[in-house]
Amino acid sequence: MSDINAYKRDKEKWEQEKLIPAGQKLHMENPPRMYTPADLDGFDFKKDVGFPGEFPFVAGRHTIPLLSAFWGRGKTLGAGKAMKTAFGYSGCGTGSDLRDFYETEKGRGLSARGPNIAFDLPTQIGLDSDDERAEGEVGKVGVAVDTLKDFETIYENFIGDRGLDKISSNWTINGTANIILAMYIALAEKRGIPQSSLRGTPQNDILKEFIARGTQTFPIEHSMRMTRDTITYCTEHMPKMNTISISGFHMREAGATRVQAIAFTFANAMAYIQEAIDAGLDIDAFIGRTSFLNFGGGMEVFKEAAARRAARVVWAKIMRDKFKSQNPKHWIYKETGAALAGFWTATKQRPLNNWIRVAIGAAFSAMIGDAPVLSPPFDEPLGLGHSTEAGQFAGDAARIIIEECKLGDVQDPLAGSYYFEHLTKKYTDEISQTLEKIDSLGGTIKLVKDGWMKNEIVRSAVAFGKKMATGEEIQVGVNKYTEDDEIEIIPKLTPMYASIDRDSAEKRQLQNLNKIMEERDGNKVRSCLEKIENAAKDEKMNLIPLFVDAVKEYATIGEICNSLKNVFGEAL
Amino acid sequence: MNTNKKIRILMAKVGLDGHDKGVLLISSILRDAGMEVIYTGLRRTPAECVNTAIQEDVDIIGISILSDAHMSIAKKMVALMKENEIEDKPLLMGGVIPDEDITKLKEIGVAGVFTQSSTYEEMINFIHSAIKN
Repeated sequence: MSDINAYKRDKEKWEQEKLIPAGQKLHMENPPRMYTPADLDGFDFKKDVGFPGEFPFVAGRHTIPLLSAFWGRGKTLGAGKAMKTAFGYSGCGTGSDLRDFYETEKGRGLSARGPNIAFDLPTQIGLDSDDERAEGEVGKVGVAVDTLKDFETIYENFIGDRGLDKISSNWTINGTANIILAMYIALAEKRGIPQSSLRGTPQNDILKEFIARGTQTFPIEHSMRMTRDTITYCTEHMPKMNTISISGFHMREAGATRVQAIAFTFANAMAYIQEAIDAGLDIDAFIGRTSFLNFGGGMEVFKEAAARRAARVVWAKIMRDKFKSQNPKHWIYKETGAALAGFWTATKQRPLNNWIRVAIGAAFSAMIGDAPVLSPPFDEPLGLGHSTEAGQFAGDAARIIIEECKLGDVQDPLAGSYYFEHLTKKYTDEISQTLEKIDSLGGTIKLVKDGWMKNEIVRSAVAFGKKMATGEEIQVGVNKYTEDDEIEIIPKLTPMYASIDRDSAEKRQLQNLNKIMEERDGNKVRSCLEKIENAAKDEKMNLIPLFVDAVKEYATIGEICNSLKNVFGEAL
Repeated sequence: MNTNKKIRILMAKVGLDGHDKGVLLISSILRDAGMEVIYTGLRRTPAECVNTAIQEDVDIIGISILSDAHMSIAKKMVALMKENEIEDKPLLMGGVIPDEDITKLKEIGVAGVFTQSSTYEEMINFIHSAIKN
């Protein structure tokens, strides 16, 4: 303690006698600070940092970080082609467009050799392509899926050594996730592949849709029931299927602060877990199949990295102390993506600068043992669907970080830094306090329903927006350094979806839908839909087996959702 | 029009896109600039948007789209505004809109298109001059 007081005295003396006068000479209101042991009062390395793979997991969630395990130096993956395709996320046009895209792109757009599918908005919201509200949106931000037929087409070439039991699929869809899951089960059954062998991840995180992304389909309570259905069904029948990918980055993108993004993600996660526990499941029986996408990020990379380190201990305590998980492997959050630089930081002006932004973020991601994923592609602000060139840049930057900078060679290299540990402690406290506040205000479901979280995020977004207007916050090339002598550099771009005739996609999808409507047995479809509507009235029923029956008869997503809306109502 | 009257602007999310950070932020900026903002909420149809514009007697309409559906929505909006004889109210669009589509949107009758390149000042000035004309 006397040491700490001595540091405090010395630091204060230095600040008053040296730093502040020097700053004044340069007209600096806030001269750069220095952190010392005085900022880490009570710090205990063993208790506050520990070793990788051990509680409190601050030094790392795994004994060997994912970065080194999957992308490490000496690994063929790290040096090889897979880096470019590891996080492919793609979808556009019709099922046949996407099927052909996977072939022509030779693996681009695929993740773990399986597709990581983006769906169009009508599919995400539960509208058929011929719904008048879908006009102009079909096949736009992702692939259009109306019936199982579309899934059969998308997965046509996933056979043999790329069969459904060999690959892992990702579906970025929430409100209608269980219907998409049912399509995958039906597709596998038709091919004679047992559902127990299927691997994949539906995003299935509906709370953040209400808060920040806006594709909610059913009211909150009924949406939560659907999530419960996913978890209970998969725990019983599909042990290799992840049930949910809980996401913070959409909230961060919508304007949440880094603390709000992490705290709200954990609050949402706890609500889903409680739903499954209330359904009678043991925490350790299902938690291993839940995952997190990521928390988003921003350009203040030390703060981003420290907040992520703080998140590790906060989550470990939730799992150990609140949910009483008995398996320490379940005390870490499973998260493979990292987006430390964020997407919202990317600018349309001088877009190559975005590559610099994400590379800095990825380097800090690597320094806390997370994957150096370069998101977003530098040209994302120019329009939907990035270029082949952006993919090359992202892959190469990650390779440089690993192979040339060798940032994966030492674990938690910033551990013990006075500044970094101070930040980690600060964010640990702030995330915990935000979670306590959510609890004291009535809990996650109530607050999502009231719009409290959304309002908090909008408030943060507006506050930041105003700082951009006054110049308190700067984006290079946006609100500073915009004089005539600055030059715009845009490299040659080969659009990702150049091979797809996007303008005709809607028309072609309507033809696909009409054809299947004529071919199918309407009576069988009606009978399936009636069963769904009746079962929906019984809160205890798991609807997924009925969805499987219905999609096998080529019931449409819109029809199934309408049957549910008759009972649940509709969310907006 | 009476120049002392507050400008009334309808801010709308038309189509299925649920990203509303932009529309909410800009609404707040326009309010600070002295305008009255009426916000529609998510997933409005062009017909609902035009009806609200008439009922609320707004001076100008702003639509936010980040889902690439801007061309078809703009065409529907322009047609419905003509049909309802409110084509004198300037129609603005904002969001993720590729440069090559901005010219096309202006050709079919969109008065102004704003992207993340646009500054608040630019938007506010544009609205004032569009209404005067």
